[in-house]
Amino acid sequence: MNLEAITITLNGREVSGQPGMTVLDLARESGVAVPTLCHDPHLDPVGACRICIVEDERSGALMASCVTPIAPGMVINTESPRVQERRKTIIKLMLASHPDSCLVCDKGNRCQLRKVASDIGVGLVEFQRIPQLATIEEVNPFIERDLSKCILCAKCIRACQELVGEGAIDYLGRGFASKPATLGDLPLEKSECTFCGTCVALCPTGAIMEKDKVYTGTTTTTVHTVCPFCGCGCGVYLEVKDNRLVRVRPDADSSLSRSTLCVKGSYGCDFVHSSDRLSSPMVKVNGNFGVVSWEEALGVVADAFKRIKETHGSSSLVVFGSSKCTNEENYLLQRFARCVLSTNNIDNGSRLYNAATHVGLWETVGCRGTTNSFDDLERSQVILVIGTDPTSSAPLVEYAIKRAVKRNGAKLLLIDPRQTKLVSWANLWLKPKVGTDVALINGMAKVIIDENMLDKECVAGKTTNLETLAKDLQEYTPGYVEKITGIPSDDICHAARFFAKAGRASIVYGDGITQNINGVGSVAALANLALMTGNIGDGRGGIYALQMENNAQGACDMGTLPDFLPGYQGVEDAQARKIFEARWGCQLPVGVGLTALEAISGAEEGKMRGMYIVGENPAVSFPNSNLVRQALESLDFLVVQDIFLTETAKLAKVVLPVASFAEKEGTFTNFDGTVQRIRKALEPFGNSLPDWEVILRLATTMNSSMPYSSPQEVMKEIAELVPLYQGVNYAKLDVKSYRLGKGQIASEKMKFSPVKYIPQPSPEDGYPLTLFVGTTLYQFGSGSRTLRASRLRKLLPEAFVELSKSDSRKLKVKDGDRVKVVSPTGEVAVLVRISDTLNQGMVFMPAFFPEGLVNGLFDIVLDPRTKAPALKTCQVRLERIEGDG
Amino acid sequence: MAKLKTKIKAEPSLAQIGKLVAEYRGQKWALIPLFQVMQDEFGYIPPESIDLIAKALGLFPVQVQGVISFYAQLYTKPQGRNVVRVCRGTACHVRGGKTILKLAKQYLGLEEGETTPDYEYTLETVACIGVCALAPNIVIGTTTYGHMNPKKVAQLLGERKGRE
Repeated sequence: MNLEAITITLNGREVSGQPGMTVLDLARESGVAVPTLCHDPHLDPVGACRICIVEDERSGALMASCVTPIAPGMVINTESPRVQERRKTIIKLMLASHPDSCLVCDKGNRCQLRKVASDIGVGLVEFQRIPQLATIEEVNPFIERDLSKCILCAKCIRACQELVGEGAIDYLGRGFASKPATLGDLPLEKSECTFCGTCVALCPTGAIMEKDKVYTGTTTTTVHTVCPFCGCGCGVYLEVKDNRLVRVRPDADSSLSRSTLCVKGSYGCDFVHSSDRLSSPMVKVNGNFGVVSWEEALGVVADAFKRIKETHGSSSLVVFGSSKCTNEENYLLQRFARCVLSTNNIDNGSRLYNAATHVGLWETVGCRGTTNSFDDLERSQVILVIGTDPTSSAPLVEYAIKRAVKRNGAKLLLIDPRQTKLVSWANLWLKPKVGTDVALINGMAKVIIDENMLDKECVAGKTTNLETLAKDLQEYTPGYVEKITGIPSDDICHAARFFAKAGRASIVYGDGITQNINGVGSVAALANLALMTGNIGDGRGGIYALQMENNAQGACDMGTLPDFLPGYQGVEDAQARKIFEARWGCQLPVGVGLTALEAISGAEEGKMRGMYIVGENPAVSFPNSNLVRQALESLDFLVVQDIFLTETAKLAKVVLPVASFAEKEGTFTNFDGTVQRIRKALEPFGNSLPDWEVILRLATTMNSSMPYSSPQEVMKEIAELVPLYQGVNYAKLDVKSYRLGKGQIASEKMKFSPVKYIPQPSPEDGYPLTLFVGTTLYQFGSGSRTLRASRLRKLLPEAFVELSKSDSRKLKVKDGDRVKVVSPTGEVAVLVRISDTLNQGMVFMPAFFPEGLVNGLFDIVLDPRTKAPALKTCQVRLERIEGDG
Repeated sequence: MAKLKTKIKAEPSLAQIGKLVAEYRGQKWALIPLFQVMQDEFGYIPPESIDLIAKALGLFPVQVQGVISFYAQLYTKPQGRNVVRVCRGTACHVRGGKTILKLAKQYLGLEEGETTPDYEYTLETVACIGVCALAPNIVIGTTTYGHMNPKKVAQLLGERKGRE
């Protein structure tokens, strides 16, 4: 900062601050308390409540300190008699129209109005009371508004518009009649509101409150941890009383979430108290589960693994790790697989959609995941969003994109065949035919090269192989690409220029890219685009690979992978092997192990005998669920470790109950590589144990105990042995989260990697519609947790398929009819929903319905490189179910 | 009585609204001028224009609604050809404004804020129009009628009663 500091006199003391600071900022920095109600560090100051008034002693002016910038020579008194008197009047006026329900108001001591009133010594209110009776009837299960308690501070309005970018509410009316209201003054559920809960967290009074709480009362302990749902990694506070969650609120200091959350984080965490939680280990005898002790259960598992290992060899054993478990647990699990079971047959669910990123980005930019920090995304001038609907799958990323557009003037380039909510924010929306992304991206790359819009410095200095790429791109002329993608060639050129001319252009992609049949190629094509425009690394744009689960990145980092030891050190890498073998005192298994789906096929063929599944639900989340179920049933031995009796657990011989995210210690790594601590807020449910403890006990039972007594010790070893995690330790994480991979991008040259567009096999006759599978905001993954969250469950619709109006006319079906969705692999019966977000020929189903409903339609088609299944689109037909409704 | 020129047309179509809004695309500052032009053109701001305006100017629809609801001079319902405003300011009150309002209500058969079914008249009150020397006042359209008394009110609005 070379700006000159400004010195002012504050309560008789000289203090200085930077130009642009407000009087309030400087007062707080100098340790002077000034009461506020409408102020929040994440919101633009508006000076609505006036309680922060201070006096300028030179002019006698009273001014709201939150909106007054400091100026040289100011003489400010924050506590003058006039200030104090005026503050009392302001509070009394607010109280004059505020109900006297403090005794029973659930806001209790969290109410800032009450706190400020008591702090400045307001006792009786002698003004005539003008009660505002304004309860609003709302039927949604999340938020209720009692605007009789509203003080018109506009925090809710600003949070909704500035932070979340939803704009569901604003002031309506004027004077006494004014209030925050939705469009048309309708209840929240009939508005744009997504029930993210940000307004609830920021409301200073009891005007906006959480509804239908499972447990009420005054919080006794508050624990900081990380949301257990998507890959964003929002910081949350769990407020606890009597070992029950009272509420979940966003962390205002988190650099990622900044006071925001989504509906799942705010109102979905009570699955931890579901009556379906497993409380004791169970062993199946004659088809029925019986409750047993931990010793007995672990004894059965240990014996079975030993027996199978001896009779069929280690290669007949398989372990699935979990992207919902902590880094430490995944690390222990892969050590268990490699050292105790002696197999590299270990995989985790997130690899199925992440592998394309690992390989695609590694071979181009030399990175295993997102290249830039989350903050950088908001600073981008152009954001290219492709193959993801962050509105439902990564809400926090959607907020950041909307903020970038609305507040920083960024341009949004959206590539999506579906009309998602982001479309209304896009400057340019391209609707390619399904499966033609690679052709489109190649077409854009060719335009950038042909029109000489390359970042020459970056290309010449940091990359290789441009000539090969340029040669390979020859055929992707705008005209040719138009023919493949259906996008007018003008739009392709326009998009390319749009992207190339921005100083900072970022790419955000999700499972629409990675779960395609050619996922690796699609990722590499995107990386080419970023490389040729120099959008890699600090100060420029970045590539953001969205993750579906909280610890998807971490599970892979920790080496619950068949081909990598922790930190992506190859299982064949002699040097890495030596280090781990020395530390672990065991011989590591040789050769790349089987991926999850190869193992499933192996089980079906009888080659796999024993399986250890931790926190995954493949019977629902894998393609061709019927086949998966048969494969799991055909195993000699299956042990499932989970918090619920999932569809997979029902097939197991032994079920081990474990602690939820709120009941254990550890770390999660989010999609941009930020490592954060999760902390224990509750005692484990029933007799359940944290996953890490179960793995350690099991190892001990198998006479190969591992020398750790806490997750902290595990992390200490990880930091020593995994270069990527160097420098991570709990003491540091307790102060601040830590973003991995500064300098993660390889120092050696980055490489352009030509990618060929491979046309999708033309659909088999009789399956004319393309089915998309995606997420919805209110449910998550296979639904095993969100379907057990008391309030999210209320929004559970019956399983449905969305289709366009024109298709519905052709099929002669209407909203609410039942139809059969038939693919070459399977069929399901669901309700019809007609939607104007889809083009003719496209149908959409959400992925979360249990019983493998949707995935049952998919056949197992693996990416040739990563062996990850395509789970995004397939061909189907709809059949009317006659005689119904 | 003098017929006044407040316009009222048939309900504007979305295309008509869209054409008008398009001229202000991207100009966030132009929200209020756009409202005024629209009201001049259609006599009111059709609620279905809120989304179009929000989109064109880069605002949230609720923000547009918020501004409309703030200003008493902006309407979301069609107004009568003659907007009758009875002043309820202090000076007019002292000189019998309350009675003037009562008579206006009787002659027009309207309560405050209402419009006759034939869109001939809308009745409103106004806090002060700044010509207190002429109190009590009635404003019809843009013309002010001062020194009101029951007889003058009957002259101005009585014709209406006779017709009903």
